[in-house]
Amino acid sequence: MTKLYRPCLSLGAVLILAGAAMPFEHAVAQRQAPPPPSPEKQAMIDLGIEHETARGLYDYFRSEAGGDGTLAWEDVPDWSGVWTRETFVFFWDGDQGTMDTLPTAKLTPEYERRLLEKLDRIAQDIEYDPLSAGNPAGMPRWISEPFLKDFAVTPQQTWLINEMMNEIRRVYTDGRDHPPPEDAYPLWLGDSIGFWDEDRLVIHTNQMREGQYQRIQPEYTDQVETVEIWQKTADDTIEVDIWVYDPPVLVEPWYTRQVFKKLTNDENALRIRYWHFNENQNNAVIETGDGSSDFADFTFTDQDDN
Amino acid sequence: MKIKLAVALASAVLVATTALAHHSTVMFDEEQEVTVSGVVKEFQYTNPHSWLLVDVTNEDGSVTTWGFEAEGPSTLMRAGIRRSDFSPGTELTITGHPMKDGRPGAAWLHATRGDGTEFDPRSGFAIR
Repeated sequence: MTKLYRPCLSLGAVLILAGAAMPFEHAVAQRQAPPPPSPEKQAMIDLGIEHETARGLYDYFRSEAGGDGTLAWEDVPDWSGVWTRETFVFFWDGDQGTMDTLPTAKLTPEYERRLLEKLDRIAQDIEYDPLSAGNPAGMPRWISEPFLKDFAVTPQQTWLINEMMNEIRRVYTDGRDHPPPEDAYPLWLGDSIGFWDEDRLVIHTNQMREGQYQRIQPEYTDQVETVEIWQKTADDTIEVDIWVYDPPVLVEPWYTRQVFKKLTNDENALRIRYWHFNENQNNAVIETGDGSSDFADFTFTDQDDN
Repeated sequence: MKIKLAVALASAVLVATTALAHHSTVMFDEEQEVTVSGVVKEFQYTNPHSWLLVDVTNEDGSVTTWGFEAEGPSTLMRAGIRRSDFSPGTELTITGHPMKDGRPGAAWLHATRGDGTEFDPRSGFAIR
């Protein structure tokens, strides 16, 4: 496979601090265009544009790859450890830069309007996240959730595990294809197939549900499909090039590089536990009449308080 | 223990304070801070959020239980905050962004235990 698709981009952990000294609601009220892509990033964007569909891009990568796409046990990469995403949680693209810039996606007019309306509501303290009802993040939002992740690689399947809501993506690398379209239906995490190109795992995911990339990010529809290339590039780094296709929302595929960092865990204290959403009544959040959020009744107050 | 309630304008609010897990922060006033001193009633070390319940004695002798919300156990562990750090009866002074509606709840910003040890749950998102 051509190695064209792995240039060096400039992402930084400093983005975690983006928006410091500015309350969230006020920050998102500002609307500035995101910075232009670097030449290397533009090449990746163009690669997505050259293929009309996610499946087309995936098939291109498959045709460019050497070998038969399988992974032998002796070649299984070491992706062990506990990982987390490097970029500030509310950004899908780390290159968005600051809280007062807009996402880097090129949106259709309809979904640009919807994004701006959502940002207007947030600026007025009107915000409700469907996760509050206990829903999974789902793909592609799965990528950007900020908690622990771990990864289990076998020749037949790779499991990409998110601590939050126990979301496990199963990537089938045994040569199977997606279910036929007539049997497809929307899934929280979609249906993922993949192949190995040396130490790179290439994944195509379809059959996803509608959702939002993050709270201050655009929405996606159930037509969304993704192509990802996962590669461990350093002992503590896994990089993921991802192209998102979603014609109702995106006028061109949204390319980003996502970075996961391995956390220091010398005492093995960090462990992914089962996440039971409703185990604590104090976490019950309701949608208010104006479409915002509030806690339901607390256990530590004397009476029904909401 | 006397209540120490101080409300002040917050400076330099870090966006990633709390409530990244599953809900908006609109119920908290991110421009205000509340600080109370009391004793730990219960540390609910749960997902998606943990709650530190603190009994605070008011000037008239009555007791108000305050709830301080932080992230879940793994993020607290990354911040060096273990369940055993706040066993019932532990004395502390704790600061958070208060609820807008006046209920005794807040988004936990930092705390100082009676022995002087300081805790910053927000540091749990740092990569190290």
